[in-house]
Parts: sequence; structure tokens; C-alpha cells
Amino acid sequence: MALTIKQQLSSPRGWLNFLIKHNTIFIFILLVVFSAFISDVFFTSVNLSNLLKQVSGIGIISIGMLIVILTGGIDLSVGSMVALLAVTFAILVNTIVLPLAIILTIAIGFGLGSIAGYLVAFQKMAPFIATLALMTIARGLGFIYSKGSPITFETAGGLFMSNFANNSTLGIPNIAIVFFIIVMAAMVMLKYNVFGRLIIAMGSNEEAARLSGIKVNKYKFLVYAISGALAATAAIIVASRTNLGSPNMGMAWELDAIAAVVIGGASLNGGKGTAINTLMGVLILGLIGNILNLLNVPSYPQQVVKGAIIVFAVLLQRFETK
Amino acid sequence: MQNSTSDYRLEMTGISKSFGVVSVLKDVNIKVKPGEIHALLGENGAGKSTLIKILSGVHQKDSGQVLLNGQEINPKNTHDGQVLGISVVFQELSLVNDLSVAENIYLHKLGSSKFWMNWKEITKNAQDLIDSLGFEIDASAIVRDLSIVQKQVVEIAKALSEDTKVLVLDEPTTVFDPKDTQKLLDNLFKLKEKGISIIYISHHLEEIFKIADTITVLRDGVDTGSMPTAETHTDHVIRLMIGRELKDLYPTRTAKIGDTPIFEVKNLTAKDNLVHDVSFAVKPGEVLGIAGLGGSGRTEMAKLIFGLYKKKSGTILLNGKEIKTSSPVEAVAHKIGFVSEDRKEEGVFLPLSIKKNISVTNFGFISNKFGFLKLDKEQENVSDLISKLNIKTPSSEVTVKNLSGGNQQKVALAKWLSIDSKVIIIDEPTRGVDVGAKIEIYNLINEVAEKGVAVIVISSDMPEIMGIADRIQVMHTGSIYGELSKAQFSEENILRYAIGKELK
Repeated sequence: MALTIKQQLSSPRGWLNFLIKHNTIFIFILLVVFSAFISDVFFTSVNLSNLLKQVSGIGIISIGMLIVILTGGIDLSVGSMVALLAVTFAILVNTIVLPLAIILTIAIGFGLGSIAGYLVAFQKMAPFIATLALMTIARGLGFIYSKGSPITFETAGGLFMSNFANNSTLGIPNIAIVFFIIVMAAMVMLKYNVFGRLIIAMGSNEEAARLSGIKVNKYKFLVYAISGALAATAAIIVASRTNLGSPNMGMAWELDAIAAVVIGGASLNGGKGTAINTLMGVLILGLIGNILNLLNVPSYPQQVVKGAIIVFAVLLQRFETK
Repeated sequence: MQNSTSDYRLEMTGISKSFGVVSVLKDVNIKVKPGEIHALLGENGAGKSTLIKILSGVHQKDSGQVLLNGQEINPKNTHDGQVLGISVVFQELSLVNDLSVAENIYLHKLGSSKFWMNWKEITKNAQDLIDSLGFEIDASAIVRDLSIVQKQVVEIAKALSEDTKVLVLDEPTTVFDPKDTQKLLDNLFKLKEKGISIIYISHHLEEIFKIADTITVLRDGVDTGSMPTAETHTDHVIRLMIGRELKDLYPTRTAKIGDTPIFEVKNLTAKDNLVHDVSFAVKPGEVLGIAGLGGSGRTEMAKLIFGLYKKKSGTILLNGKEIKTSSPVEAVAHKIGFVSEDRKEEGVFLPLSIKKNISVTNFGFISNKFGFLKLDKEQENVSDLISKLNIKTPSSEVTVKNLSGGNQQKVALAKWLSIDSKVIIIDEPTRGVDVGAKIEIYNLINEVAEKGVAVIVISSDMPEIMGIADRIQVMHTGSIYGELSKAQFSEENILRYAIGKELK
């Protein structure tokens, strides 16, 4: 609506609506304030940069997940893709020059995503099924190519990548910068480019989109391919951070990515969601893990808290739609 | 149970029903004796289906009384209706596609009795029931694999599987050929002998006069009284169905009609539906009306032209040149626009803003070669259309969900005007739209035509189509049965062609 923030806040009811509408940002701010109060180490640069490094990989695949979810689909393959592509990247880094290794890894990610895209768009397979199949295939291939054990970077190119991934520029971790650039690119594409308009239109009413002369299948195909390419980018980042590619990487990341997108207010039916809110979702999930770690909460209770936060965020969004 | 003294099996008296501010039924009375076939007639929108839905429990009446065997009943849902012995075969088939014929027929009984199903017995009973109707259908077949005719038969068998006292058939024969129709009518006579009361809705007056004992005509939600079939004749019934004056709803047609057709369709035949051998031509500035009964293939024809169904044969010409429209993408590229009859499901994007709805066809104009939007240009274009179409909204950012039906329809139309379409097909332009917005949409169609666009309007509303079209083609069983020039426009003539009869 074309109301200004001032108009929205002119009544008590307006305040409440404003809070509900921007609930992800408020949950995020609340969590930051809360964390700062209960732990002295939270606001140290070491902790914050660790937090950002931890979320960057999942953050990047969450953006891919967002554009798939905007069309009303889902991509379960991304976690396994990270494993397969991290292994792929480690092998490539050890055999060919670095720039080519990067390009090739991303191209393979795009290609693998295209398979899911082809099955969904042109073979009318349910996204859940097509990407579930790809998920197990990718995980299996990851183990086959790595022979079940991690592949360490051994070349100068590998060293360069590992330095890049573990260093910061102007106090911000380099890999977080990559993540933020991807978030901003997604924001611009979704808001100011035809691509974003079309996938949102498709997600909100596929039949009407088809009847408006939109190439629905082409764009459906594309979102899965892009999600695959972003999974490759995430794979390069996480492999570089640890200086190796392992078939165990990215375990259940697809679920965290879905959670981040949903906490960010996107609808699994499609047509609703923004990149900035997905960023908030990613940060919220990361923050919860971070603060619970600082409080020495063991990992099983952490999972319970995470689940509770997802339920809480989605319940808040129900008020918004009413 | 007290003994009833009533002669009637079913008495509906003083039934009224409104949806919101729209009054659909006003003080309607209908009485049916045991073993009587009672025909219920009226134009589309006269209230027949609503009356039946009240009887069967789909809708609740606002006022009035329904007596079954002299006892007042108030079915709250279709299950209540079934338990009372009221079975309805609706126009929209209500079968579950993935279950077998037998499972469908006994669906309402599954789960009500025992834990274990005796499939053998259920299938055998279903087979016996279908055999008794004289049709050849395997009771263990999956419904999805049946033809539309067979599905209709299963639907009827399902209605009879109950201890039915009142059987309602809503246009059961639209998909039947004469032979199947005769079989069905024979069956109805058998049921009649068993004392079942039958309410029969049909546009086929011929059938009505063959089988009905009594006829009730509804017009604009009011019944014009019931009469024995023997005391009336076709012309009288048609007059009762129409008998309405045209109000001043329609604009004076001022568009100059061009000499050579801009858009032609020749012998168009569909691969997967009933549309066949459709030929017509539209000139620039002309409004061509397509009339016909529900199920005559009007919407299917429009979707066939627009590339949503596969073509088997035939050609489409734009400005004399043959074009291919094997998908909506191609149709839109040739500047053909289509406004669907199903506004919410196919016409607009309800959760999106007016701006995003209108721009969706027009990205070539409002974006650069990298696909980045020229927001100023977009806003200008959208604001222009909002004011031209008089869409009532405070801003172009309002979500379409929050607009009235009439304004939503204008948005659906605006997206085609935004790309200067040369041919616009509008299916049911004013369905679910109030009178004020209707007049605006009629004026809009007139204005669009004035710009030299060829407009094809499909409508079930006969006064509407006569009010806005320059020429009307009437469809019957998938093809164009006849054409009416302006001088020949009358509801009677449309109806005659629509039921496959010659003009008088």
C-alpha cells in the first residue's frame, strides 16, 4: 500500500500491524538485543564474524530456495548438491587452474539444477519428488567421486581460495561479502527485473500467468537451474573455508534453507517472499545457534528451540494475512 | 411418524434466497407428486440450479418451506439430503476420477457400515445397477478412463443407488447423443412407474414435451406458475422463459466496421474436445457474439484459438495471413488477447497489485533489453489505463483481491489493452459483476471496438449478447449451428439455434 510509515503508525492498531508486517526484522532485532544482554562475548568481532561465516553457505542456498519457492516449488536437492559440488571443486582445484575450476563447478551446479528443472517444467513431475530424487543421487555421487573420504586442497589455487574464505575485508568476512552480494542481486532481480515479476506472477497464479502469454515452463526450468548454480557457489565457499571437499557436507541444509525462507515470511504456495526477509530468516536461524552455543546449550535442545522459533514466526505471519 | 394427508411427495413453497445483495429466488413454489416427471425450465441464471441446491442441502434457503411427504425438512448438507431420499445429478460431474465406477457409486456408503469392504459384492451390485440402466460400463473400471457420456451414466447410477424418493437431473443429456438420450428417457419412465418423483432440468424442449407431466418456468428468480404439459406448447414456454424487457443497459454501437476481416478461423477442429469445424470471420471494429448453451463448446473454442488446447485441423488467419497459435505465448505474440470466464482462477493475480497485474503482458514495452523495468514508464502506462477504464482504486499498488468483481474484470481487460491487442476474446464479460460495472464494461467493449480491434464476446446472458454484438453465432454440440444478423436477434432465435433447431 502507498501508506507512509507515519500513517501506518498513527493508531495503536497501526503499530501492531506494522510490527506484524515486519515481524522478521523485529524478531531479528529482539534476538540481537537479547543476545547482547546475556553474553559479553556476543558483540565481539570474532564472534560476529564467525556467525557470518557460519551462515553464508546456507544463506546462499536459501536465496536459491527462495526463488524456487516463489514459483510454488521446492528444491530438496541443494544440501546434497553442496556435498557433491564441494567434492567436485576440490578435485578440480587439484587438477586445473583456479578460475576454470570455479566456472566449471558453477556450470555443473547449473546443469544438475537443470535436470530438476527439466523434470518439473517439462515432464510435469512434482517438485518435491524430482528434487528428492536428485538429492539422493547427488549425495551418492559425492561419496562415489570422493571414495567416501574428504579431498584436501593441494595446489596454490586451493591455498588462495582458503585464504580468501578465511579472511575479511574492512572487517567483514569475504564469504559473507559474497553472500550479501548475492542477496542484493536477488533483491534487484526480484524487484526491478522482469524475471522477478514473472516468477512471482507464476507463483501467485500459474494458470493466469500461462493465459497471459508467459513462458511458464521456461521460467520454472530456470529457477531450479539457478538454485543449482547457487548451491555450487555455496559449495565452493564451504570447501574453501575448510580447505577440503567432503561428501558429508551440507547435511540437511535444504531444511535449514526452507526454514530460513519460511521464517522470512515467504509462502510455500508461491508468489510471496522477498530476498531481504530471507536474509533475516538466515540471520535469525544463525543467531539462535550462535547464542545457544555461547550459553553452552547442547545441540539437541538447540534443535528444539529452532523448531519453536519457526512455529512462532509462521504463527505471527498468520495474523498478517487476516 | 404421523400419516401425511398430502397428495404431493415434495412441496417447496415461498422459497427465497439471496447471495449478498443479489436476490436469486423470490417466493418460488413447486409441487411434485409421486411418480411425476416435473420439468423445471428457465434461462441461464434464472435460479434453477439454486433452487435445486436448496432442495439438496448445498445452499440454505432464506425463507419458505420444504415439505417431503408432508413433513418439513431442512437439509443442512448434501448428506442430509441423501439420507432423506433426495438425489441430485448435477451439471458439474462430482465423481472421483481415481476411484473405480463401483467405488464412486457407493462412495457415500463406504465407511458407514463395516470395517472390511466386500469389494466383490459392491462391484457386483454396481454392475447390476448399471446393467439395469441398459448401458455398457465395466463397474471395476477407473472413472478417469471413461468417456464423458459414461461418466454421466455413472453419476445417474450413483443417484439411484440410494433409496431415492426424489431424483433431480440437471441437464443430464447435454453430452448425450439421441440414442443415449432415448435410453435415459426410457429409464426415467421406469423410475416413474416405481413411484419416484423426478425433477428434470433441460434446455431441450423436445425432450421436455416427450416426458414431462408438468412444467414450471422460472424467470429472474420468480416462478411463472406450473402447468400440465398437455395444456401448453413450445412457443408458450419460450415466451414465458424470455418475457422480459431490455433495459437501457447497452451503448449505441458507434464503431466503424472495416470491410475486410482482420481475423478468420477456418474449419478449426480440436484434438481432445468436442469443438469441430468452426469457421467464422471478424472485421476490425466488429463485436462478434458467440452464444450457446453450457457445454456447447464456446469456452473450449476460445481456448483452442488461444493455444490452450491442441488443434487437429483447421487454420487461423490474421490480416489474411495464416498464423500458428499452438500456445498462449504464440497467441499473445500475434496480439490476440483472451479474458477468461474464470476471473479468479485464470483471469487475474489476486494477491498482486493492479500495477503488477496490468504489466504482466507488457514487459517488452516497459523494460530494457536486460529485463530491467523502466518504472516511470510502467507507472505512466498503468495510471493511464486505470483512468481510461475507470478502475475505482486509490492507487495502482492496491492488491486486486481487494477490488470489486467489476473492477477486477477491468484489470483483466486492461492487461490486453496495454499491449494494443488486435483481437480480444472475452468469455462471459460480466459474470458476477453488478449492474453499474456491467454498463461500464459494455461501454468499454464498444470503445475497444472503435479502435479497430476485433472483439469476440462469449456470453450465456442472451440480452447481454444481443445488446452488445453486431452479429451472433450460436454454437451447438461443438460447432457453429447458425448465425444471426442484428435484424434476427431474439432470444427465441438464439435458443432455437442453441438447441439445434431451425428458425421459424
